[in-house]
Amino acid sequence: MTGKSQLDFDVIIVGSGPAGVSAAFPLIEAGLRVMMVDGGNTPRQAPPSGQFLDLRQHDASQSNWMIGRDFHALRQSDAVSPKLRVPTHAAVFNGFKLANRIDADDFIAVGSLAPGGLSNAWGCGVACMTDDELASYPVLPSDMHESYRDVVKRMGVSGGSDDDLSEFFGLDEWSDAPVPIDSLQASLLARYPVRREKLLQSGFRLGRTRVAVLTEPRGERRACDRSGNCLWGCGRRALYSATEDLQALRSRPGFHYKSGFVVERVTHKEGRVTVEGRGEEGAGALQARRVLLAAGTLASTRLALQAVDHRAPVPMQSCPTAAFMLWLPRYLGRTQEAAFGLGQLSFSLGLGRDVQAFGSLFNSMGIPVTEFARHMPFGKRYGVDLLASLLPSCVIGNVFLPGAMTDASLCLGAEDRLVVRGTYREEVAPLMKEAQRLLCASFRQLGAILIPTSFKVGLPGADIHYAASLPMHANPVVGQTDRYGELAGVSGIHVVDGASLSALPAKSHTLTIMANADRIAKHLAIRLMAVESSV
Amino acid sequence: MRIAITGATGYIGRRLVRAARLAGHEILALSRRPMAEPGVTWQAFDLADNLPLSLPEDIAVVFHLAVKTQHDFGESSVEQDAAQRLIEAAAVVGAGVVFVSSQAACADAPTAYGRIKWQIEGKTLAAGGWVVRPGQVYGGAELGLFGLLCTLVRRLPVLPAFIPTPYVQPVHVDDLVDVLLACPAQAPSTVLCIAATEGVGFTAFLQAIARGRTARRPVSIPVPTLLIRILVKLLGARLSSRLGLDRLLSLFALKLMDTAADLQRVSVALRPLGAGMTRSGRGRRELLVEGRVFLTYVLRVRPAGALVRRYARAIEALKSGRALPLPELMQRLPALLALLDGAGGIDDAFRRELAWRLEAAMMVAEASPQGAGRFLGLDRPGGWWRGALRIFWAVSGETIRRIGQVILRPFLSRVGRRGAF
Repeated sequence: MTGKSQLDFDVIIVGSGPAGVSAAFPLIEAGLRVMMVDGGNTPRQAPPSGQFLDLRQHDASQSNWMIGRDFHALRQSDAVSPKLRVPTHAAVFNGFKLANRIDADDFIAVGSLAPGGLSNAWGCGVACMTDDELASYPVLPSDMHESYRDVVKRMGVSGGSDDDLSEFFGLDEWSDAPVPIDSLQASLLARYPVRREKLLQSGFRLGRTRVAVLTEPRGERRACDRSGNCLWGCGRRALYSATEDLQALRSRPGFHYKSGFVVERVTHKEGRVTVEGRGEEGAGALQARRVLLAAGTLASTRLALQAVDHRAPVPMQSCPTAAFMLWLPRYLGRTQEAAFGLGQLSFSLGLGRDVQAFGSLFNSMGIPVTEFARHMPFGKRYGVDLLASLLPSCVIGNVFLPGAMTDASLCLGAEDRLVVRGTYREEVAPLMKEAQRLLCASFRQLGAILIPTSFKVGLPGADIHYAASLPMHANPVVGQTDRYGELAGVSGIHVVDGASLSALPAKSHTLTIMANADRIAKHLAIRLMAVESSV
Repeated sequence: MRIAITGATGYIGRRLVRAARLAGHEILALSRRPMAEPGVTWQAFDLADNLPLSLPEDIAVVFHLAVKTQHDFGESSVEQDAAQRLIEAAAVVGAGVVFVSSQAACADAPTAYGRIKWQIEGKTLAAGGWVVRPGQVYGGAELGLFGLLCTLVRRLPVLPAFIPTPYVQPVHVDDLVDVLLACPAQAPSTVLCIAATEGVGFTAFLQAIARGRTARRPVSIPVPTLLIRILVKLLGARLSSRLGLDRLLSLFALKLMDTAADLQRVSVALRPLGAGMTRSGRGRRELLVEGRVFLTYVLRVRPAGALVRRYARAIEALKSGRALPLPELMQRLPALLALLDGAGGIDDAFRRELAWRLEAAMMVAEASPQGAGRFLGLDRPGGWWRGALRIFWAVSGETIRRIGQVILRPFLSRVGRRGAF
């Protein structure tokens, strides 16, 4: 076994997103030397600071952050999600597929080269998986529980309340109070106890969304003041991003960081792993005892399949998604007010015998009206007329189905490029119909009308929840990983991001990725330290 | 690749050098005077010197643009000889030849100019080269024949309106240059006629110069072409040539070229004359008008100047930078755009471009204090009944718009069919 003196690092972590930083802490705390690399894309446009509605009324240069000096939003006019048009997030998404040699075939494939990864632009939804949901994972639920706790305490989560989703989210013991709710969603929540029995029977449960947003200040990060800039980036840093943890890690002894280094190949030989990549100074290679792949499901899967030269397609999971709009007629004529822009209410929905859907509701205030107008069968002028009057009394919703409902695959092809393909399974269409019917009926009970034409099913991959392409198995075969994310067929390479989840339920999965990375790193820390002391 | 250009310091040559450099080519300028530009090397070349010519080995294509500007009668073989030397030198290093000919090129052209071009065309094609016959080249710096016409329009108290009207087929110099650079991708021994598909009256062309380049709006007076012909006869060939009258004869003899198929072959869309004639060659003024119309349509009030400029910049940065051919009436009454917005039965490319631009206008409009009032509904009082009334009006407006689109379909389907954008 290679001793400490011969290698510069014990562990190389590829990627500085939620998975990468979560894996780094236990290793650093054990005294190991960690090198973290990422794509190094940094933002060129700062997020707005101030109250969204004030800025919109008075900031003459608002087009800098709404459209971008380089017209980023117009360049991305075909992109599937409003987030992809936000100039402050341009660096989060730019160049990912090109640098990581990923080709998508009729599938929305998104990833990040930015420090902090996709968490720079995420919806901040957090949830723990229940023991049932962890049944297909070859891990002890108690280990996961411990990791969930440690990660939640580090990142800061709010939304804890005693409601019908407490068990579903499973993290209230570590959560702060929720962000104050807006008047529209408050009215939905107020009616819920009255209709609760009936709704529960139909499979609909409602509660506050558990989100990684601060309602209590933490160090330099300030608490949410409902300024409504969530889509555009939070100048107060109330929304969790892995860059917060990355910053903390950089002051820790034993932590090394190389930004702007895109990894092209990972190989294992004689007890050491070599990570080859390309940085600002040209091609380079790093060596360590272990490498943890945390580059995001797509990029990590490419590196892993390349490392074991696995050329057959591997399946991937991705949650079919739909969006809809609720109208609360009582609130017609209301004027827009400052509000939190991410999930305030969430629901779980039992569809059929064993399909559980999940979704959240959002205030419309911070989202450009153009984003709604583009989906409306109206001319531009009358579309704006209508939306300006209608939107203040509307609530936006989304709904996710379990990831197994998408038949997606990843295949390493010519020139080691990764081809992503995926379609929805046949049952998605009827399940979405059923979801629409159930949501329509449930929200009518709560005083809201689901605008029928607003219910739109997204394209495969539009959820950007990709997972389980290299799933953890108790007895893994090539193309899978063991209970510690170690890739079968080669030693020393661990997959610690979404790729190694064993299954992807409909609920938000980021926290599970982080907890799993934390769990694997805790185990590795013990193993590597034990080897060291035996040497 | 590395390309050689004769006449690189001329009217078309300079634009070709610029475009070729932007496309990443290395350039060897073959000209009498050295050319001091970064990325351009120079080799002396004179049509008249009759010295042996050898080209560097790495030259892939030779663009032959050089012409003799002074017509010395009786010595007309100079241009053919020079072309011959060039074609042979190109063959030695295995380079292709692109020859810029003329619309006047013809075996029995009325002018020596046209006959010489015809002969050089033959040599070029025999060597497997490409021949481009441009129509009336215009735009950019005021050089060459275009420069001469600009000077005339500035100086002449009145413009001649020849009877019968000679027609020219304009082509913007930058569009021509795009075609030249696309030649090597075409089959060898190809002739490409490049100009507007339809002719423009010569006087209308001069008026377009006046509109685009001067503050003058000169009056035209009719001049029978017969008068010029008689004058040429009286003055004799040499003197008329010196006065440039033979060029007029050449103009009167121009036959319309069929250019549609060739334009399609090289997939170049020519910019409209009005847009190309402006100094930018891009029609910023028209684009600003378009921006104002689209933004007014979306905002319902006159947009701030900054928004109009931002819209124009966006179209210049991301699209062709040219205004769409909108009916005059819609330019005056932006509300009428509602009829065109998403209308069926109109040209597909135009419909898509219009949809993209209207959405861009919408995003530009929204991202402003003015847009915040309109889009977020902050600029008017709230209240349930007011809200209900506004929704009623919006739906009514949309319904009327749809009915209007059905009724006016035959008229709307004509919009946007012509013109590049």
